Amino acid sequence: MIRYPSSFIFFVILFVGISLYQIKHFITKKEIELAQIQNNIKSAKSDINILKAELSYLKRPDRIEKIALNRLGLREILPTDIWDLKDLVDITVTLNNGEKK
Amino acid sequence: MKLFNFFDLDVSKENQSRFRKIKLLISSLLLIMSFTIIGYRTISLANINKEKVSNIAYKTKDNKSFQKNLRGNIYDRNNKILATTISTLSLNINPQEILNKYQTITKLTKIFPYLKEEDLFKKFNSNKKHINLLREISPIEYVSLLNAGIEGLKIETATKRIYPNNTLASHILGATDIDGKGIAGVEKKFDSQLQGGKDVTLSIHGGIQHITRALLLDQIKKFEAEGGAGIIMNAKNGEIFSVVSLPDYNANNYNLTLNENLFNKATKGIYELGSTLKLITAAIAFESNLINENDVFDVSKPLKVSSRIINDFHPLDYAINIPEVIVHSSNIGSAKIAEKFGSSTQLKYLRSLGLLNMLSLEIPELGKPQVIRDKKVLSTMTISYGHGISITPMHLASATATIVNSGVKVNPTLIRGKVEKKNEVIISKETSIKMKSIMRLVVSNKNGTAKKAEASGYLVGGKTGTAEKINPSGGYYKKKNIVAFTGAFPMNDPQFIITIMIDNPKGQKFSFGYRTAGWVVAPIVKQLVTRVAPILRVKPQLESSPKFSNNLLNFKIRGKKDGATL
Repeated sequence: MIRYPSSFIFFVILFVGISLYQIKHFITKKEIELAQIQNNIKSAKSDINILKAELSYLKRPDRIEKIALNRLGLREILPTDIWDLKDLVDITVTLNNGEKK
Repeated sequence: MKLFNFFDLDVSKENQSRFRKIKLLISSLLLIMSFTIIGYRTISLANINKEKVSNIAYKTKDNKSFQKNLRGNIYDRNNKILATTISTLSLNINPQEILNKYQTITKLTKIFPYLKEEDLFKKFNSNKKHINLLREISPIEYVSLLNAGIEGLKIETATKRIYPNNTLASHILGATDIDGKGIAGVEKKFDSQLQGGKDVTLSIHGGIQHITRALLLDQIKKFEAEGGAGIIMNAKNGEIFSVVSLPDYNANNYNLTLNENLFNKATKGIYELGSTLKLITAAIAFESNLINENDVFDVSKPLKVSSRIINDFHPLDYAINIPEVIVHSSNIGSAKIAEKFGSSTQLKYLRSLGLLNMLSLEIPELGKPQVIRDKKVLSTMTISYGHGISITPMHLASATATIVNSGVKVNPTLIRGKVEKKNEVIISKETSIKMKSIMRLVVSNKNGTAKKAEASGYLVGGKTGTAEKINPSGGYYKKKNIVAFTGAFPMNDPQFIITIMIDNPKGQKFSFGYRTAGWVVAPIVKQLVTRVAPILRVKPQLESSPKFSNNLLNFKIRGKKDGATL
């Protein structure tokens, strides 16, 4: 004779078993997705590194210096180019006082 | 005794009830156990044993695509890449899987003309299962390989460490081995951090590093020198903006570089840096309170100590005070000062300035100072002007920084934003002001030995040093010098330290045969400061401005013929 509690337990076990399989399958699938995403991230990081390295290579100080000097006609900054205006006023005052004396 | 029989169907009603209870108990236990196992497995699958499951998932999906973390990048202080890791493709074969070896070799040599047929034949006839033909192939070569449709080739992904700036800071960056493990420089010191995918940001400024290297290299060529070192460092927190050692090498070709070029002269090489050490002697003298700036020392005659005679390069025929000893760079004066404060005081300050120990810089290539510690008067005297004490240029930069930073110890660092925990005071603020004033005079005074270092507006101060080079087989080379300069700018409030050393310069026509620091190193200091000061946001100032006069003292320096005018 099949009793109701026994059949209930049987179905519960069956349900749990199927659920467990589903969970396992789901987790495995997600893990694979995660692995793919992580690999994609690493690949993207590597690509970014290549771009950064290329940019760094193009921005090499020796290259920029050559371009600045030979192509753009720039030169190094001299103190007279960036003198503080207040100091220039002081110089003028000093010079004027010297002339008056 | 009659035993209870589970399989006996003919049992009494009383026994039947008991039997059912036992069956129920066993079933319940089994169910509880099942549920416990199921529950545990469910939880472990979902959470606890995730790592194991992840690895299985990775392995089952695509074994080749599973990679460890990419090695972290190394940046300069402006977040410009100095070292990075990129993916590359390598060409491999399993000889047993190649059906038509001759045809494959012919196709391969068409795509890779630099591969020799004989070598390929040897490799193709090998019994090994995995042979690497090329460690790295270009994307164009990869496409050609695909188009050629060669069977049995294996193209695998690998990583490669690259240094886009080639020679820039190569001694500091170091290198990695074939497995991506750091074997020198920052790569070695921060290996675990970099292997974990974390980046390292250095205090190095790419632009300033290049300027320092270019000017130093130019001067080395002009004076046909063997090499040199150059350092620019923040005078307050010790952050190194540039550190150059020449000859250097392309960081991408570490394995092909000669040992001589790999040697870091700035942090590992120890040298007698001559009169630059007089700065320390003067600072000790002021700090010991045994001598003040008005005490004079007779330097008119050579000083004979034991069997040795101490001479001056620029002899004076009168007694001079400490500022004049430094400005004229008098060995006799320096020796007499050191005699007064003695060996113990000298060693105490050398130790506290860090000149007796290795630095705690963030690279493994560090030199240990060598100092004569016999406490004899002669040793004390010679150490006072830089003979008998061998230190690295970085040691000198560090000691200079401490002297000008109001006496607070400055520890050099290659890491941006590193916080110094201790605030160790080595010399007093008063001594520091005196020293800064004297250092400025070495450059600005007409009798100073570093007049050629004067960079208009930037108030450079420092001290030159010219010393005979040590002969490794004993004694000194008579015709080989080490020339150096250490200083700071602007001297009224020093922001940056500049230390330059050149190894064995030769006298030139344009230098009238001179190969002293004043002729060889001082001009680089001027050019270097003029070029880097605007980048470092140091504004040019007038020496007559109150900012200058309030912060420094005005010592009178007499010339060669002004002896009687004190």
